[in-house]
Amino acid sequence: MAAFSAARCLFRSYSLVKNVDQNTGILIRCSRRMLCSAPSDSSSPDAHVKPQFLDSEVQDILTRITGLNLEKVFRPIKQELKPPKYKLMTDAQLEEATQSAREQAQRLLKMPPVLPERKPINDVLSEDKILEGMDTAKYVFTDITFNIPHRERFIVIREPTGTLRKASWEERDRILQVYFPKEGRRLTAPPVFKEENLKMVFGQDRHEDMLDLCQVQFEPDSSEYIRVHAATYEDLEKMGKYDLLRSTRHFGGLVWYLVNARRVDGLMIDMLQKDLLQDAVSLVGLFNKVHPHSETAQEASSQQAYGLDLLKIYAKWESQRAGYVELALQAYEQTSAESTV
Amino acid sequence: MVHLSSFLLKTYHGGHIVIRLAMAGHKQSNRPFYRIVAAYNKRARDSKYIEQLGSYDPLPNIYNEKLVSINSGRIKYWMGCGAHSTKPVAKLLGLAGFFPLHPMTVTETEFHRALAELAEEAAPEDGVKQQQL
Repeated sequence: MAAFSAARCLFRSYSLVKNVDQNTGILIRCSRRMLCSAPSDSSSPDAHVKPQFLDSEVQDILTRITGLNLEKVFRPIKQELKPPKYKLMTDAQLEEATQSAREQAQRLLKMPPVLPERKPINDVLSEDKILEGMDTAKYVFTDITFNIPHRERFIVIREPTGTLRKASWEERDRILQVYFPKEGRRLTAPPVFKEENLKMVFGQDRHEDMLDLCQVQFEPDSSEYIRVHAATYEDLEKMGKYDLLRSTRHFGGLVWYLVNARRVDGLMIDMLQKDLLQDAVSLVGLFNKVHPHSETAQEASSQQAYGLDLLKIYAKWESQRAGYVELALQAYEQTSAESTV
Repeated sequence: MVHLSSFLLKTYHGGHIVIRLAMAGHKQSNRPFYRIVAAYNKRARDSKYIEQLGSYDPLPNIYNEKLVSINSGRIKYWMGCGAHSTKPVAKLLGLAGFFPLHPMTVTETEFHRALAELAEEAAPEDGVKQQQL
């Protein structure tokens, strides 16, 4: 009899928990969808759909700008020491091998997502004042059912004051690392990510390693990830060392950051100095897409400009170092004229 | 559902299935660690179990947390097959919110609070006595 009533209690609470499961799951999915998709109705009358990082057009432009330097992508990385293998190939086989290497490189250069910062979790599931003073330590309950995505897992903390609350994002990351460890991730962040140590790393020109480490350690929408990436991009922009990231998967993120901050000048000049005119043009195109209300974009759309004209419009309207950009453009035109002549 | 339990009882092993805490590993060390486990009732506490459903670490870590993991899907399955849970497991799951709160948890909390008050009353008296001495 007692077992029967206990089972009835259990089924009632199970149904509550099941509903909470579904509701939070739906909420999380909805909020994720709302974060990703653009707002359909905005207050301004001529509202545009702001292009996001993961749109196919934006991704196309960014992959083109990133370039594909096979030498750099497949440069020797620290791995297990094995004797090299030599293969004898015909020309056709060499072509095939190069093609597959190119595809592999494209997969390696897949850009990590740029997401807005996650909102803190402040959910209290229950307040039980009768449980106050039960214990000096917190109890952390994790649901280790296999088939749930990590974002929807229940990680709940019972405080010594008796409140049952959901774990915050940092606690979640740590506890998921305890029960479902990811390779390379540590429970506490390595001290490299502090400000002073970051500066030292940047002094040694190891921005790419830094970003890879950050990728492994933090989730893409955590505040630490965004802070480290912002610091790296700022330093790169200040020093003008865009080449360090040029054929890596972080270049798209760098370009997106600069375009959103409207400080594309340094990158533009760097591209022109290296004679990457197509890249410069696509950069201005991306800028116009992301900021369609700026003067550059409006001029470009009114004049239907392409190619060099886009760059001239950009140099006139938007850039702070206009003289520099125009000089570089003139130099490019001269060299192209000489080469054709 | 209770029929499934008697189906499992076809081979004689004695008793029903329980969800209980089993001490994991290494009796030598002074460091307890429990596994939440579905096992037959009559078996020894730490011997062969049917399935592990979670873990419980009674010593708090550097963040003052006691980590408990619960495989809720499998616990639901075994409860549906007619397994019983022991008192400590029921208390833990009650604290987690998976079960309703166990009445002994409340009683124990009140007991702890009464003890703490007694200790407080004793401590100022001791302090006064030491001053007098």
